[in-house]
Amino acid sequence: MVFHKQPYGIQGLLKEGHKHLSGLDEAVLKNIDACKQLTLITRTSLGPNGMNKMIINHLDKLFVTNDAATIVNELEVQHPAAKILVLAGKAQQEEIGDGANLTISFAGEILQNAEELIRTGLHPSEIISGYTKAINKTIELLEEVVEEGSENMDVRNKDEVVSRMKATVSSKRFGEEDILCPLIADACIQVCPKNPANFNVDNVRIAKLVGGGLHNCSVVRGMILKNDAIGSIKKVEKAKIVVFTGGVDTSATETKGTVLIQNAEQLEKYAKTEEAKVEELIKAVADSGAKVVVSGAAVGEMALHFCERYKLMLLKISSKFELRRFCRTTGAVALLKLSPPNPDNLGYADSVSVEEIGGARVTIVKNDEAGNSVTTVVLRGSTDSILDDLERAVDDGVNTYKAMCRDSRILPGAAATEIELARKLKEFSFKETGLDQYAIAKFAESFEMVPKILADNAGLNAMEIISSLYAEHAAGNTKVGIDIEEGVCKDVSTLTIWDLYVTKFFALKYATDAACNVLRVDQIIMSKPAGGPKRDQPAGMDED
Amino acid sequence: MSLRVLNPNAEVLNKSAALHMNINAAKGLQDVLKTNLGPKGTIKMLVGGAGDIKLTKDGNTLLKEMQIQNPTAVMIARTAVAQDDTSGDGTTSTVIFIGELMKQSERYIDEGMHPRVLVDGFDIAKRATLEFLENFKTHVVMGETPDKEILKMVGRTTLRTKLYEALADQLSDIVVNAVLCVRKPEEPIDLFMVEIMHMRHKFDVDTRLIEGLVLDHGSRHPDMKRRAENCYILTCNVSLEYEKSEVNAGFFYSTAEQRETMVTAERRQVDEKVLQIIELKNKVCSDNESNFVVINQKGIDPPSLDLLARAGIIALRRAKRRNMERLVLACGGEAVNSVDNLTPDCLGWAGLVYEHVLGEEKYTFVENVKNPHSCTILIKGPNDHTIAQIKDAIRDGLRSIKNTLEDEAVVLGAGAFEVAARQHLINNVKKTVQGRAQVGIEAFADALLVVPKTLAENSGLDTQDVIISLKNEHENGNIVGLNHHTGEPIDPQMEGIFDNYSVKRQIINSVPVIASQLLLVDEVIRAGRNMRKPS
Repeated sequence: MVFHKQPYGIQGLLKEGHKHLSGLDEAVLKNIDACKQLTLITRTSLGPNGMNKMIINHLDKLFVTNDAATIVNELEVQHPAAKILVLAGKAQQEEIGDGANLTISFAGEILQNAEELIRTGLHPSEIISGYTKAINKTIELLEEVVEEGSENMDVRNKDEVVSRMKATVSSKRFGEEDILCPLIADACIQVCPKNPANFNVDNVRIAKLVGGGLHNCSVVRGMILKNDAIGSIKKVEKAKIVVFTGGVDTSATETKGTVLIQNAEQLEKYAKTEEAKVEELIKAVADSGAKVVVSGAAVGEMALHFCERYKLMLLKISSKFELRRFCRTTGAVALLKLSPPNPDNLGYADSVSVEEIGGARVTIVKNDEAGNSVTTVVLRGSTDSILDDLERAVDDGVNTYKAMCRDSRILPGAAATEIELARKLKEFSFKETGLDQYAIAKFAESFEMVPKILADNAGLNAMEIISSLYAEHAAGNTKVGIDIEEGVCKDVSTLTIWDLYVTKFFALKYATDAACNVLRVDQIIMSKPAGGPKRDQPAGMDED
Repeated sequence: MSLRVLNPNAEVLNKSAALHMNINAAKGLQDVLKTNLGPKGTIKMLVGGAGDIKLTKDGNTLLKEMQIQNPTAVMIARTAVAQDDTSGDGTTSTVIFIGELMKQSERYIDEGMHPRVLVDGFDIAKRATLEFLENFKTHVVMGETPDKEILKMVGRTTLRTKLYEALADQLSDIVVNAVLCVRKPEEPIDLFMVEIMHMRHKFDVDTRLIEGLVLDHGSRHPDMKRRAENCYILTCNVSLEYEKSEVNAGFFYSTAEQRETMVTAERRQVDEKVLQIIELKNKVCSDNESNFVVINQKGIDPPSLDLLARAGIIALRRAKRRNMERLVLACGGEAVNSVDNLTPDCLGWAGLVYEHVLGEEKYTFVENVKNPHSCTILIKGPNDHTIAQIKDAIRDGLRSIKNTLEDEAVVLGAGAFEVAARQHLINNVKKTVQGRAQVGIEAFADALLVVPKTLAENSGLDTQDVIISLKNEHENGNIVGLNHHTGEPIDPQMEGIFDNYSVKRQIINSVPVIASQLLLVDEVIRAGRNMRKPS
């Protein structure tokens, strides 16, 4: 009888297929181990010399990138503890749009150090309280390290913007930041509203066009639509624009309509009235001064015919959001259906033209005058994956701009901040008396991860670099970081490598939160994986 | 057995085997949940079938999410969930108390005691404990303006068992204010009037209380204002979109003009409704300083939105039904079902209405309302599991405040009540009972100690030391609880550790009942096919 043989404890209570892990060895250490594995993957991608990863996701899409957010997103992490780290990375990506790698790597690092502490006999709850103290202190220290005078910046000053953006962009596309940064900065500054805090990331568009190279990248004030004009008119200048969200076609009733025709004469007459109606409308549009008609839905043959006759350029934008952006670019008010437009509702563009770039026909809408609020960064590259990676770099750059609009404070980059934090936090830990001090000291040590990885990835001797960094910082040169090109320690203000305060603030905070969460768990109860459609291959990370 | 009465696949357990199965199941469940108890309890990570993560310390959530299969454990879990339904807290205590009662009984049963005798003892002990609770509870007067400090303490006691300290302290202010906000004299408190909204944004400590409402959608028209001050609010349930007739109707036309007129005629009905709203807007907003917001439960189609946008009205469509109720409570005015004969009296008022965009999601905040009777707790957190954790905690926190307001009494926490009740049972009650029922009372009394014991265990303290020092203090007439930091006895009143009276009463009421039932089982028959495949 099975009843008698039931195991004692939780195993006997739950449904079959359940997994139950508890206790220090089974849960906490295993969790830490899983997180460590995850960070092993991401950390080699940290910094300008980070390595690219090639990932093929479950849809067989290929990614070549060193952007941690993308990597962990496509990895489909299964382990629950590692997933907490991934979520922290995602939160960072959503909040700031950059620094996901720092978040994940740092969380992994402090967890790894926590493991050592656990092995020496500390209880996770003591480590958590130590880490919480440490992060609070770190935030205080972070304020102290902030570069003086950086809280007031002119977000429209290109040089200042570029200097703040460089570190971010170079960590994605090293060596290309000198070309990309000015482009991104230009684009962002153009669309920056009066109150910079309202800067909208959505207003910087990216158009990826295969072909050409990095030097062909440019910024267009206005938009690029990835399709052709419908009619034969391909270019207009200084044009007024009318936008219809509904189709440019004969109007229809919601209820089903039937044309009642009894004889041939009526049929002919009907077609004529129809024609007359459309012509009347199109003529009214043309009379209002508009030269370009934009439709959000289908364009009827008859309407097209009359548009051609009245020399109107016809564009079709089927995406609702794209249409809204178009309205923003040109200042047009979208009309619901085909009707004579009010002059106030007309938009304006300097030029609307169809051009052929890299084999694709695109419509370029330019608007240099005031009132334009959308710019497009045109990216050129030889393959799709390069373009995708460039896009991510630009995205990060734009997000950095947004972050600096909110808070422009900067910190010395190139690991100078981390070493400074590590040093000061260590001093702080000596003053603590309880068991916390060990955790705080380990937390401080964790910051060494950043220079270590930067040096490692650049092929330098990490230990040497770290010790000389400490020496410089102890001597009072608090802004000394690594110059990875020359492999020496230098004052970062001469290198102009700056990190944004907010990025670091959120990254460290999210990382610590996630790590503490992982440490707090002492039991894992996993239910049987729900049966879904079977994948061809079992999704496993172990299989390389 | 010479003749089988049952299906050959059926399983039968009898006498002591059945009893032990029950006891083992109860103990097993206790083992799982006991690490949850108290502020120093640890977190469990639940991984769902789809790989989703949930982190929880809440016994109720845990029981719901763990797919328990053992029949005895299911019974216990149901009692615990019922505990949560009636009083909103105390699930973990219920489970470990049941487990402990079974454990104590096991000892006596193994020595040859009949379960029935124990059960009789439980019953006497239960009644005595309830009486004792009546005398033990601390009265709190909840008049027009309740003492916020006491409420905060109660909220804090509950929340600290679910979340870490700093966050719990912050949330306890929030829940107290929220409950007091929706509280109306002479009416039972309806916690549904507290909207709980979450945003995946920033940190958990950014969670706040909004006196007003947050809707998880925005206006659907690009030209509507994103922010407006001094707003009149029209709460309505009127369809502002064209609806097809129920019968199969069709238009017949023979010229394009005819069709055009039909198109306009079709719209007219809807347009008229919209125009009525616009008319009202023009009437009340003639000074150009105020704005007008329409919040509609039904839909608003693009042409109507367009008309409203042109009139400078912010319109939200497809609001949730429960929010319509809350809106009226928060902003005043009344919800209208028809736009005929609209008067300014129907309108509510809010000082500030704005839209917040977070990635793809839009949120509309209706704030700065006068004299609100509904409010929103806006939970923020970097990821879903944090949010879920806070949400569960807030729900329990709200319930605990509500209980306090309704009970007008609290019970000293930190294990003080349990130790005192045990004292009372052993010293006073046991002597009044003759015969073997005394054993049952003793078992019950010892089982009560499981709460302070587990608290001590979870805090890494020496259980025996703690219990002895607590007992000694109580012998001397001091009512003390456990300081989980130091293991020393403390006065819960000084520390502000209060539990809900109704929660404790519910526990004392339900636990002995279910434990007695389980003890009195002497045969378990599992019918038919074996669900557990023999492996």
